[in-house]
Amino acid sequence: MLEILEVSKTFEARDRRVMALQDVSLSVRDGEFLSLLGPSGCGKTTLLRIIDGLTEATSGRIVFDGIELQGVSRDMAFVFQDINLLPWRSVVENVEVGLEGRGVPRPARRRRALEALELVGLESVANAPPYTLSGGMQQRVGVARALAVDPKVLLMDEPFGHLDNFTRENLQVEVARLWERLKMTVVFVTHDVDEALFLSDRIALFRTNPGRMSQLIAVNLKRPRWEYNVRADPEYIRMREVIMDELEVRKLQMV
Amino acid sequence: MAILETARTPGTTVGQASRPRARKVTRRQGQAIQIASLLVVLILWQISGLFLNKILISTPSEILTDFVEILLNGQLIRAFLGSAAEMAVGFGLACVVGISVGIVMGRWKPAERAADPLVSFGNATPTIALLPVMEVWFGLGLAARLAFIFTICVWSLLINTLAGVKNVNRGWADVGKSFGLSPLAATRSIFIPAAMPFIFTGMRVALAQAAVGMVLSGQEIGETGLGGLVQEFGSFFQTGYLIGAIISSTALAFIAFWLLSRAQAYFFPWIRAMSARR
Repeated sequence: MLEILEVSKTFEARDRRVMALQDVSLSVRDGEFLSLLGPSGCGKTTLLRIIDGLTEATSGRIVFDGIELQGVSRDMAFVFQDINLLPWRSVVENVEVGLEGRGVPRPARRRRALEALELVGLESVANAPPYTLSGGMQQRVGVARALAVDPKVLLMDEPFGHLDNFTRENLQVEVARLWERLKMTVVFVTHDVDEALFLSDRIALFRTNPGRMSQLIAVNLKRPRWEYNVRADPEYIRMREVIMDELEVRKLQMV
Repeated sequence: MAILETARTPGTTVGQASRPRARKVTRRQGQAIQIASLLVVLILWQISGLFLNKILISTPSEILTDFVEILLNGQLIRAFLGSAAEMAVGFGLACVVGISVGIVMGRWKPAERAADPLVSFGNATPTIALLPVMEVWFGLGLAARLAFIFTICVWSLLINTLAGVKNVNRGWADVGKSFGLSPLAATRSIFIPAAMPFIFTGMRVALAQAAVGMVLSGQEIGETGLGGLVQEFGSFFQTGYLIGAIISSTALAFIAFWLLSRAQAYFFPWIRAMSARR
């Protein structure tokens, strides 16, 4: 279980102090798909980076399986919004990065990297330079890179944010399929309500100014959600309204 | 479902390719214009030689004959090869030292703090002012010339490498950190490759400086190589030979730049592929 305990983060620049996160507490159950949903600037990406150890919290703790985390953990893997493939490495060499970091010897690295590429259907482009791939394919490599290290927790930061709608919808189904198959915990950051409803067991709603969690909603829609028209489901429509209300009300108040 | 009208551009018939408004200059025509303008310059130059004093400038035909002469008697070739070798060694050493120190400074704060004043000072000093010092330290021959070439171009390599390492894309640095690479492994696998565009820029600047250093040191220390020829022909006002020597120096620099650009394309094709499309 992943526990986020009263995490706060304040950014200080010259004369401005921004409270990106204020006392966020949350427990993520093993094997669940949890989304962090909110508008820009609500701190959800900051929280994900704190969980991964890329950013340090100003106060609060992250505890995983009873152990307090200091910095980066081998049990977690991150999928970046900007994808961040290394252009001087081929696709399969990119996927190997995490395995290198964990000291896996060369032959095993290559084998596991190729297996991860098979999971996302890209074993045919293993030796291609990453910049010859489309955005959607590149992000699938990003997902393969994270899966290659067999993480217990997969952290995804708006992974489809820079992709077009068609690609995004296809990749949402792919992620849902992978999660059903591999059964790991996923923490997924998004600003897209439909994406969160399609993928998640629970959704944590975030507000801005300061960034904080306002509600935690359970999504009780039948799975697998790609096998029927889930968006026409009355429960889906109701939940969507609830969420939009929760987020919209804030916008009205800001005016 | 009704399909609405297909769009039409007024004035054209549907199905016919529209013609370009202005007549574009084709690539062949562009090349022809370049060659023609070059020829015009040469012809005017040749004609002007009939009126101007020989000392001011030789005509293209005289330059050509002088050039062939020093080429055939081996003088030019010996000077060219000697200079090329010195430039290669001086530049090569500067690359090794400049790039590695730049990397260490970029990745280790204490090194940067310690070396920074030295680098600023060295970079700001005109190397030619240090020429007498080098002659005292290294004598009046090859060692001094190499030291000169080294000193003139090492700063660009160091400073550009340092900038490259410090300005690595934050996303790539995050990848290294998130996937568990140690700082040393990250330096090798992420920071150095990522800094390559900057390093190559440093090399291009340094190469130009090394070419200058090569000619200058050849002139001032030992009067050898292409610099030596420039010195010798210049002092005797043999403008034909002089221009031949100057052109050879330029050609050497061009060849060096070309080799550098080939090396970049071969070893780091991603730099070109990922730059802003032209």
